[in-house]
Amino acid sequence: MKIIRYQTSPLFSPAASYPTLRDEMDRLFDVAFPALSSLQRGGLFGDWQGEFPVDLYQDKDAFTLRAELPGFRKEDIGVEVTDGILTVTGHQKTETKSDQKDKEAATAVQERRVSRAVSLPENLALDKIQAAYENGVLSVTLPKREEVKPKQIAIEVK
Amino acid sequence: MSLLTKNNNHVSTETPPRRAVVPRYEVQETADAFIVTAFVPGVDRSALETQVDGESLTVFARRTWTPPAEWTAVYRETPVADYRLVLELDHRINRDAVRAELNQGVLTLTLPKAEAVKPRRIEIKG
Repeated sequence: MKIIRYQTSPLFSPAASYPTLRDEMDRLFDVAFPALSSLQRGGLFGDWQGEFPVDLYQDKDAFTLRAELPGFRKEDIGVEVTDGILTVTGHQKTETKSDQKDKEAATAVQERRVSRAVSLPENLALDKIQAAYENGVLSVTLPKREEVKPKQIAIEVK
Repeated sequence: MSLLTKNNNHVSTETPPRRAVVPRYEVQETADAFIVTAFVPGVDRSALETQVDGESLTVFARRTWTPPAEWTAVYRETPVADYRLVLELDHRINRDAVRAELNQGVLTLTLPKAEAVKPRRIEIKG
């Protein structure tokens, strides 16, 4: 099985790893000072490009990826598999109308775009991938192909 | 009003002692209310407790989902922790009218302003 790289780009290059370290620092700050980081980005639903935390689990039949993507509509979440890379994207546009007289200023458009790419283990049944979204958590079930499941073969001892 | 976090590092003495983190949140002010928005992914409606107690508003949200026993974690980024947010309220909040709404991991608390602090127009007589 491949090891999942933290960075979004599946291609590694030393130059690309530098912003990753910065992203990692940003993430640590986000964890330590959540209120501060949301201010920095112009609000929780503000205009920011971001990553979101993911977990990967495995049992004998499947891998399950769980991603925390609060506040999206189902139709705003995209799940795609291309060449062994699973990409989860969320794109949401919110128009906030206030009761101001000036129409230009009254409609504020906020856009939230998040994306995450994860390289997948081999031997998955790609046509059987299923996804569900509940309580702000996206769960993607990635079944293993039949031949990689552990099989128990009874051997008769004579 | 100081909608600042208050004693969020509170160590729970209840059992089981599970870690609680402050969710990512923001506060907005409108003409007649303060709106608190917090991200609490993984929390079911039934696992959300909002309590107004004198000076403070406490939100405790428990992550309801736990991996089945036969699953093993290959890779983890999310903390094994619940959410706890404590906000200090002052006289400007109408405590009896606090509303909470949870939608896809986003908690919206509406804290209406007390009538006394809303802008009032005073007619001049004579």
